[in-house]
Amino acid sequence: MIKVLTVAEMTVREILRRRAVLVIILMLPLAFYLSRRGDHLGQSIRFVCLGLGWALSTAALFSGSAARGLEPRLRLSGYGTGHLYAGRLAALWTLGLVLSAPYFLLIRVDADRVEHGAIALIMLLTVAVAAPFGLVLSVLVPRELEGTLLLLTVVGLQMMMDPAGSAARLLPFWFSREIATYAVDHTDGGYLARGLTHGTVCALALTVLAMTLASIRLRRRPHLRPVT
Amino acid sequence: MNTDAWLHALDGELRRRGIDPALARHVVAEAAVHLRDSRQAPLAAFGPPDAYAAAVAESVGSPVRSAPHRRSAPGPVRLEARGIVKRHRRRTVLSGVDLTVRAGEIAAVVGANGCGKSTLLRICAGLESPDRGEVRLRGTLGFCPQDGGTSDFLVPDEHFALVGAGRGMRRGAAVRAGRAYAAALDWDPAGAGQARFLSGGTRQKLNLVMAGLGDPDVLLLDEPYQGFDRGSYVDFWRQLWAWRDAGKTIVVVTHLLDQLDRVDTVLDLTPARTTEARA
Repeated sequence: MIKVLTVAEMTVREILRRRAVLVIILMLPLAFYLSRRGDHLGQSIRFVCLGLGWALSTAALFSGSAARGLEPRLRLSGYGTGHLYAGRLAALWTLGLVLSAPYFLLIRVDADRVEHGAIALIMLLTVAVAAPFGLVLSVLVPRELEGTLLLLTVVGLQMMMDPAGSAARLLPFWFSREIATYAVDHTDGGYLARGLTHGTVCALALTVLAMTLASIRLRRRPHLRPVT
Repeated sequence: MNTDAWLHALDGELRRRGIDPALARHVVAEAAVHLRDSRQAPLAAFGPPDAYAAAVAESVGSPVRSAPHRRSAPGPVRLEARGIVKRHRRRTVLSGVDLTVRAGEIAAVVGANGCGKSTLLRICAGLESPDRGEVRLRGTLGFCPQDGGTSDFLVPDEHFALVGAGRGMRRGAAVRAGRAYAAALDWDPAGAGQARFLSGGTRQKLNLVMAGLGDPDVLLLDEPYQGFDRGSYVDFWRQLWAWRDAGKTIVVVTHLLDQLDRVDTVLDLTPARTTEARA
């Protein structure tokens, strides 16, 4: 447990010291929120949730990319892949919850005719999905720039694609629009159920995928045989 | 170079030359008094600190420290690489390389650029797979990469705490051990900034300290002295000999062929000349 907590603590320290990135991450969802605040509050709420997802995915991408050089030597220093992955993910999830809290309060104060419980659910699922999503990208692409462009593509598609189309369901944050429709437009519970299912499946699948990719990247090679 | 930096450098050079610490303090104090009274610049008054320290050492009869003889016979085999073959695309980088290193031995891996020195070390560390061959390892491993291996946004003490936790050390003990290793390399990491602000040589010292934390049995060091000044380079070899005397197994990648008398085994990976020679 100490190993996991130490990795989590150092991950938080690293992220907090990237001041410029931190400011952008904090302000990005606000910009999304304000973009439609005047004419369409419901759309603002949908966008702020997407903004949170993008911000946290970016933080996870940067954190995962920065750890590429360090993690192999930590593996040799007594850490298991599980320690490294669980510590990093725990730190990112914590950061995501802290990041979401002021935006939830903002919506709580600013929008009184929405289902606040459902908004909280969107934010929880967004945090659960965004962190492993960013970590998956950090393993699959060699540099932060490519990863950031991929994230931009995903969030752009998420905003532009018709959410009723089946292709939109392949996007990781599709659930946020479904649940937001329930929360803002007070539609039937089908939106909530579909969104909850999609978000849960995405969170689980991405968490498992990120762990699998980390295990492959940091695996012990069979040619190295410990002799006791 | 200001007076304080010059005096500090002089102190380090005297220590490296094996001058008695009390005498070294006396020499530094005398120099400080002279510089204060004369108001001269230290380089103008005494010349470079290493040259002045050499003159002092000669005058008091202290020999310059060279590679000490090993204090005890080598122990059991700790690292054994057999028949390592590695190809990058169609080019064969390593062709049936063998390396055996025992406890209390230093092995140097030498060869031209691109001949596979770092690749061999990464294979020995299990960070890269060979196309053929195997590595047998007895004990724990510490690895110092040629570059990278640190976190830009963490300070040195946090690096020590991070590696120490992996080795099962308490945070305070890890930081103390890290600072002690750093002191042996003439570096004080207390209060040092984030790794991204360290100079290249200091960052390599951090890398080296991290490799040695937790007393691993086998140390794999990939040109760890890059960016070191002369004094740090001398400190580095002294640290290696101290580790060897403590029974560690050390493999160091180097291209400085004039230092090969300091090691016990030399593996030359120059193509068509791959040989393992014992001192």
